[in-house]
Amino acid sequence: MSSITAPSPAVDPTGPLPPASRSRRRTELIMLVFAFALVAFALANVGFTLKGGLPAGAALYLAVYLAIVLLAHLAVRRFAPWADPLLLPLAALLNGLGIVMMDRLSAQANPARGVPAISASQANLQIAFSAIGIGCFVAVLVLIREPRVLQRYTYTLGAVGILLFALPALLPASISEVNGARIQIRFGSFTTIQPEEFAKLALAAAFAGYLVAKRDVLALAGRRVLGLDLPRARDLGPILLAWVASLLLLIFESDIGTSAVFMGLFVAMLYIATSRTSWLLIGFLMFVVGAVIASKLVGHVGERFDIWLHPFTPANVQGNSYQLVQGLYGMGSGGLLGKGLGGGQPYITPLVQSDLVFSAFGEEIGLAGVMAILLIYGLIVQRGLRTAISVKDPFSKLLAGGLSFMLALQVFVIVGGVTRLIPLTGITTPFLSQGGSSLVGSWILIALLVRVSDTARRPPPRPIQEEGLTQVVTLN
Amino acid sequence: MNRALRRISIAVLVMFVLLLVNVNYLQGFDTASLASKPGNSRAFYAAQNQYQRGSIVTSDGKVIAASKLSSGNDSIKYQRYYPSGPEYAPVTGYYTIFGATGIEAAKNSLLSGNDSSLDVRKIIDLITGKTTKGATVQVTVNSKAQDAAWNALKTLGKPGAVVALNPKTGAVLAMASYPSYDPNALAIHDGAKLNKADKKLLKDPAQPLLNRALQGTYPPGSTFKIVTSSALLTQSPSTTINTPVASPTTLSLPQTQHILHNDQGEACGDGSGQAPLITAFAQSCDTTFAKIGIQVGANALNDMAGQFGMNDANLTIPLPVAKSNYVIPPSQALTAYTAIGQQNDTVTPLQEAMFAAAVANGGTLMKPDLVQQVTASDLSTVQGMSPSVLRNSISSSVSDSMKQMMLAVVQQPEGTAYAFNQGVTGVEIAGKTGTAETGAVSLNDAAFTCFAPFANPNIAVGVIIQGGGYGASAAAPIAVQVIKAYQQAVGNQ
Repeated sequence: MSSITAPSPAVDPTGPLPPASRSRRRTELIMLVFAFALVAFALANVGFTLKGGLPAGAALYLAVYLAIVLLAHLAVRRFAPWADPLLLPLAALLNGLGIVMMDRLSAQANPARGVPAISASQANLQIAFSAIGIGCFVAVLVLIREPRVLQRYTYTLGAVGILLFALPALLPASISEVNGARIQIRFGSFTTIQPEEFAKLALAAAFAGYLVAKRDVLALAGRRVLGLDLPRARDLGPILLAWVASLLLLIFESDIGTSAVFMGLFVAMLYIATSRTSWLLIGFLMFVVGAVIASKLVGHVGERFDIWLHPFTPANVQGNSYQLVQGLYGMGSGGLLGKGLGGGQPYITPLVQSDLVFSAFGEEIGLAGVMAILLIYGLIVQRGLRTAISVKDPFSKLLAGGLSFMLALQVFVIVGGVTRLIPLTGITTPFLSQGGSSLVGSWILIALLVRVSDTARRPPPRPIQEEGLTQVVTLN
Repeated sequence: MNRALRRISIAVLVMFVLLLVNVNYLQGFDTASLASKPGNSRAFYAAQNQYQRGSIVTSDGKVIAASKLSSGNDSIKYQRYYPSGPEYAPVTGYYTIFGATGIEAAKNSLLSGNDSSLDVRKIIDLITGKTTKGATVQVTVNSKAQDAAWNALKTLGKPGAVVALNPKTGAVLAMASYPSYDPNALAIHDGAKLNKADKKLLKDPAQPLLNRALQGTYPPGSTFKIVTSSALLTQSPSTTINTPVASPTTLSLPQTQHILHNDQGEACGDGSGQAPLITAFAQSCDTTFAKIGIQVGANALNDMAGQFGMNDANLTIPLPVAKSNYVIPPSQALTAYTAIGQQNDTVTPLQEAMFAAAVANGGTLMKPDLVQQVTASDLSTVQGMSPSVLRNSISSSVSDSMKQMMLAVVQQPEGTAYAFNQGVTGVEIAGKTGTAETGAVSLNDAAFTCFAPFANPNIAVGVIIQGGGYGASAAAPIAVQVIKAYQQAVGNQ
């Protein structure tokens, strides 16, 4: 070590920090103001297009939005001062755009049905859930000061995750079945919870803890066959478990999208933990086998493929593929620049407020707008992966990598589905879809990434004094 | 682990690039193809509601359909409304968020502003900064004649229809159908309420949505004797209106046991078994014309019916018109019935008007047309009316004879419509009554076809009243009112 042979130069302990380790909280604030301005502009745009002026509720919406966003910023300043400065503003911008879209959809009736896609009170709920989501964001920052503490609860989190996933299937269909998929728990007639939105997060943390503990054996033991390092049969247990779980999810809850995200998350984390390509291959093969089994067992799945391949046949256009096709028509009518917020006809598309919300953006803010939205998602994922690479602790690394990849996969599955890149499966679009569970879950995900990034970017504790110098002891 | 994370990052990058490329393809290159795909109602709605829809006005300038700005947070910018709802419903039709009928459907592309003939004007609007509007369609209907027709039908309160034509041009001067519906109830933008209103109208046993004037077909009864007489006069040029024809009180039909009576067993003419053709026509003797029918033959009747516009399934005015039928019967006995407008003969009220119009116009049947002109929002004419001949029904000499005979029906004391012409001054009406037996007398369909003024006809009217009883008593007074209203409107009185 160089410090042994030559003393390092004296550093003024009270002097400025090197640029790499600035906290960048001011950048975050400026970006938040920018996000707020965009959201305010979008909301005004909707008002002027649909109501000919700023509606009375707009000011209240913006006030609440500004308040919760600033609260989140203050929480980051206090509890995660070294966090990545872009994660919060990017998530806040998406959340704000989602609120604007809900407001827009509630303001205009579908002429064929006489009612809007969502009611005004449901649009108001979206901002209430944003507040709850940011509340959870703050709570995560307050309660989890170090990401590693989660590692202690590996098995607890795993059990909670599996229980949450299984809950809708275990409960009677009358309170859990919606549109053929059993993914919700209904309370009364209005409020529903989708436990899987939280289950995914718990399982991601549980996987991270498990893989950190077992990664050496998973990475090293095994035989080399045809240039591929195959794991030992007994080490296949966890991946088999994940596979069976996602298959059960598919069969009992008919929830293709989530089961794909879940499987993808596990395989990716296994790969990150072991750097072993064979795990990817095994995971992919098992996914294909699972998909084939599922398409035989669950009618829902085969139908999804048919819709994907032949959406424009006369029978499908008026039947199974109506929703997908109307979403595509909406995006097509939007073209390059869109119809303007409030200027399109997104209300024609069924479920435009939840699964198909991306197509509503495509219709109203056009190709330019949806490319921006995709880049925002891309940036969040990129900040998350960058955090994973820079953080030292392996648990935090796996957690951040897994969560970032899960977000990317979820966006890929739903946006790819809506744009007919892959078969459409019903999962939520993070931050944009209507629905409290997805929103709260997404904010917890961002909170965990913020927490890990704080750990990653926090400068090492500075020594009170350089070792080579005479110690100066201040006596009071 | 960082190496794996970097690879995962690359995989994520590939995923996002795929998404970006795909949205670029969808929204950058595929838009035209998507717009023309089946079931793309966005393109339909957008085209329909891009501009303020044009108005529909009558020939004398009365607005019968127009668009105004919608109220509230309506997703469709303009609201269609019909100031005189049910009266003009057979003309305008309706325009709903799901579809249209009547002129609204027939001239939709012009009304909505999407017709290619409006393209140049749209470019001019773009340059001059004017708001593009749909074209205005002026129909040939005269509001005074229409009012008279509608009010008379409404007062009578029986299902039926009235059509008035200008015999010289084929212009439809009035077209009313009763019972009717209010198209305003279907112009609402609330699909649920619209479906409900539509279902209610469809279920109504009175069939208010049926435009009887063009789509209802009824037995013509004795008005068909115009065709039978024309066939005789055309076939034997030596026959005149005063030629005595066999007019027995009863007629045994060939090859059957059936005996045909005149109405209420009356004798025809002086009861001698012979009567001048004009007298038999004025009295509407069934035996005479049944015999003439057998004499000229079913083929001649069929040809003449065709010459008057029957058996034409493709007539549009531009609203589609149901086919009026003459079916060649298998026997002479049945031919006798077809010659007096029974058996399988059916006509639309428009066809009734066409009988008189052909006679009134010297034997030339003009093609009926409901559209006078179409004007763009800058008031320039996009389409005008060009009268065209539909059929050369009969020669002018036969037409002269027919005119005299139809005059006798109304103006001679023995004529079946004489009673209803009493008190009509200033206009000389000629016509023919018809009563189609559907069972009891009170359930008979009443028909009347006529034209006026006799010397220089400017209107031909066809009326059919379901369950109207005798043609003269139910249908003729309505025709008289329409004629009087029209003569007043054009200043003939």
